[in-house]
Amino acid sequence: MGKLKFALYWGAACGGCDVAVVDTHEKLLDIAAAADILFWPIAMDFKYHDVEEIADKHVDVCLFSGAVRNSENEHVAHLLRQKSKVMVAFGACAQLGGIPGLANEKRRQEILDYVYHGSPSTVSQKGVYPQETTSVPEGELRLPKFYDTVMTLDQVVDVDYYLPGCPPESARILEVVEAIVTGNLPPKGAVVGALDKALCDSCPRKREEKKVKAFYRPQEILFDLERCFLEQGLICLGPATRGGCSDPPRCIRSNMPCEGCYGPPPDVTDQGAKMLSAVGSIIDSQDPSEIKKVIDGIVDPLGTFYRFGLPASALRKKRFA
Amino acid sequence: MKTISIDPITRLEGHGKIEIFLNDQGDVENAYFQVPELRGFEVFCLGRPVEVLPRIVPRICGV
Repeated sequence: MGKLKFALYWGAACGGCDVAVVDTHEKLLDIAAAADILFWPIAMDFKYHDVEEIADKHVDVCLFSGAVRNSENEHVAHLLRQKSKVMVAFGACAQLGGIPGLANEKRRQEILDYVYHGSPSTVSQKGVYPQETTSVPEGELRLPKFYDTVMTLDQVVDVDYYLPGCPPESARILEVVEAIVTGNLPPKGAVVGALDKALCDSCPRKREEKKVKAFYRPQEILFDLERCFLEQGLICLGPATRGGCSDPPRCIRSNMPCEGCYGPPPDVTDQGAKMLSAVGSIIDSQDPSEIKKVIDGIVDPLGTFYRFGLPASALRKKRFA
Repeated sequence: MKTISIDPITRLEGHGKIEIFLNDQGDVENAYFQVPELRGFEVFCLGRPVEVLPRIVPRICGV
C-alpha cells in the first residue's frame, strides 16, 4: 500500500486543532512516515489552486477544523469533500459550531456594525464596511460573503466522522490516525477519539447527593476540591458531555468544571437541553418561585449550556422579533 | 493588467490573501493584503460573565 494522503484545513477556527496535531510531538514523524500531507495552510505552502488540481477522491482523509462562517469556508469545504474519500469534522467548531458559534445569538449586521464602527478601539472616519467586491484602480478585489448564521461542517457537506474537542486531545488524534492507517475505522457517522459515555462516568470526584439550593459562580464560594462540582452548586457540563478527552478529564483534573467541548454524549441530540434537564433534576425545591430563584443564579444560560454547540443545537440561532 | 494571487497565505494563524497587480512592463503596480475572515468575538463576548471570558478568548488564536 502506498502512503496515505491527508489534507488539513481550517474554516472559522483559531488554529488550536492544528496545534493539537503538532502537539503529538515526535509522533508527528510517524504520521509523516505513514502519510503525505497535500494541504495544510498552517504548516505548509500549498494554495487553493493546488487543491483544485488534485483528482477527485485522491485525498484519503481530510481533517476539517473550524466552523462555516463565510462563503470561503463553505467553498473550501465543498472542494475538499470532492477531493477526499473520508471527511472528518475535526474539533468542536467543525462538529458543533464551537466558540465562534456563539455569534448565532447576534444578527449579522449587529456584528459588522460593532466590529467596524461601534467598538471603542475602532476609528472609522470613512464609514467603511468590508465589501464582497471592491473596485480599485488596478482592477477588482473580492472578499467572501459573511454569512448570517454560523454553521457546522455537516450542515454544508457530507461528513464521515466526528473527532470532538476544543481542541481534540493529541493522544486521541494519534489513536484515530492509527485507526485510519490500519483501516480500523468504525461505521460512517461515528464519533471517534472519544468514549461512548458521559464525562461523569470517568470523573474521579466524590458523589454524595445531588440536591442544590443555589447555583454559584466559581468566585462566589470556596468549593471542596474532591467533591462533584454540580453537588456544590457549580455548573459542570459533565452529565451532558461525551467523555474521553483524557482520564481523568482534563478540566476536572485542573479543578475546573467541564464546559462541554466534547459535545453531547451518545443518544443526546441537544447538549444544552440535556444539561437543563440535569439541572432541573437536582434543584432541591418543589416551590416554583424558589426554583425560579435558584435558576436565576445561572448568569449566562446560553453561554453555559451551548458554549460550544449553538449552531448544532435545536435552537441553532437566536430568533429575532 | 496581470494579477498574481497568493491565496491563502500560509504558515501563520489566520486567513489572508494577497492580490498583486502587474503593469504592462511586468512591474508591480500595486498590491493588496486582504483578511477574508471575521468571527465577531468583539460582539459575542459583550455581556458574558467575566469569569467565562478566560475560557472563551483563548479561542481567538490557539497557536
